[in-house]
Amino acid sequence: RRFYSLKVAPKIKTSTVKAAVQLYPEELQLTKLPNGLVIASMENYAPASRIGLFIKAGSRYEDATNFGTSHLLRLASNLTTKGASSFKITRGTEAVGGKLSVTGTRENMAYTADCLRDDIDILMEYLLNVTTAPEFRRWEVADLQSQLKIDKEVAFQNPQTGVIENLHAVAYRNALSNPLYCPDYKIGKITPEELHYYIQNNFTSARMALVGIGVDHTILKQVAEQFLNMRGGLGMSGAKAQYYGGEIRVQNGDSLVHAAIVAEGATSGSAEANAFSILQHVLGAGPHVKRGSNVTSLLCQAVAKGTNQPFDVSAFNANYSDSGLFGIYAISQAAAAGDVIKAAYNQVKAVAQGTLSEADVTAAKQQKSLFLARSQWQQVEIWSILHSLMTYNNEAPIKEENK
Amino acid sequence: MATRASTVASSKWLKSLRKWYYNAAGFNKLGLMRDDTLYEDEDVKEAIRRLPENVYNDRMFRIKRALDLSMRQQILPKNQWTKYEEDKLYLQPYLKEVIRERKEREEWNKK
Repeated sequence: RRFYSLKVAPKIKTSTVKAAVQLYPEELQLTKLPNGLVIASMENYAPASRIGLFIKAGSRYEDATNFGTSHLLRLASNLTTKGASSFKITRGTEAVGGKLSVTGTRENMAYTADCLRDDIDILMEYLLNVTTAPEFRRWEVADLQSQLKIDKEVAFQNPQTGVIENLHAVAYRNALSNPLYCPDYKIGKITPEELHYYIQNNFTSARMALVGIGVDHTILKQVAEQFLNMRGGLGMSGAKAQYYGGEIRVQNGDSLVHAAIVAEGATSGSAEANAFSILQHVLGAGPHVKRGSNVTSLLCQAVAKGTNQPFDVSAFNANYSDSGLFGIYAISQAAAAGDVIKAAYNQVKAVAQGTLSEADVTAAKQQKSLFLARSQWQQVEIWSILHSLMTYNNEAPIKEENK
Repeated sequence: MATRASTVASSKWLKSLRKWYYNAAGFNKLGLMRDDTLYEDEDVKEAIRRLPENVYNDRMFRIKRALDLSMRQQILPKNQWTKYEEDKLYLQPYLKEVIRERKEREEWNKK
């Protein structure tokens, strides 16, 4: 946590030394507006502020006619809006040294603006313009479609992306099975009308959460009341995700095999979600010493007994609002793939049958909190606030996470 | 009252002057509209790029027909000439937007 401390150097003659004024980060302040919008802010006295607008409009809210709309929307955050042209948004953000970015997940779209504390009103204006009043001019959208292809190529350079897309496609039949990246047949064919339709139906006040770090709560509230209540109501609801399960195999010429074996997990915010998350850390979710041999992970130990080829295996845990996935993700050489997967699976079975000790569980809890703390990304704070907000129930559930 | 009558009269006169000039310019005899004849500098090129497809196709057809007529050294029959009242300045909104964007860019680059 950063804090801002004031110290006045002692004068030589008189010996009045002003005491250091230490400002500690304040508690989170939460408000829920009558139109459903949730506002949260935390004052941490850092020199840079960050505002995030989270909207329940991820790729799960597409339907079969408009796959890829949320991907294009992710890329369209710098297009001309009713209040500012595309050029102005880009140059204006550059001029104050800020950053306007979009993250899209299966459930949410998150628009984040960060900059120095004094310039936050400039970026707030752009942020509001982009989310509430984009124009999607026909020629700008057409020019943007080639960017879809590049984005997809870059993302799929990582085989994990492909595996996780396929995992979701086969585990669910609708909603959560929608791809995060635009399918090839839709590139070049998404029209501004589809984008407008998507925004009209999904970017409604009741599905938004406005989070600010280093911003005054009253200002956020004013802004939200004035600008973010254009579309009320719940918009179109997405389909309910139901887990089906299945199998999908993709053959290619790589020498490494990526395999994910997954079963239905817990929905986010439920008691089981915490349990699954601890289980994930017990089984092994990434090395604790960089480039180390991952001795503490149960999965890695089990697989190391079975093979001497290089491999990597970790537990996979995903929580969505009405479903979840939990399992193992294994990367191994093609020849040893069978052994690796079998060894990992047997280890999970062993844990499931209750061979865990209390010490293991406490160690895993420790590791989980370390994971959050180690993440140098201030965004993680926002995301954890967001998760609690999306299941906001008149209490601040953030404190319960650590139980 | 006298002044208003004179302004009304002069604007009628202005209108008839415009109409006379339009017919004297002669491009309506080739079936063209005024925006077809604009010199294609950078701004106009960008505005043309932004036209919706049907407007662009009509423009291309008129230009092609006019080129064909000028090759044959002929003009259209009088009933097919573009009339002053029917001439639509279709490119102006796009052109204004292009020019506004360019001015905005220049303003920024000055700073």
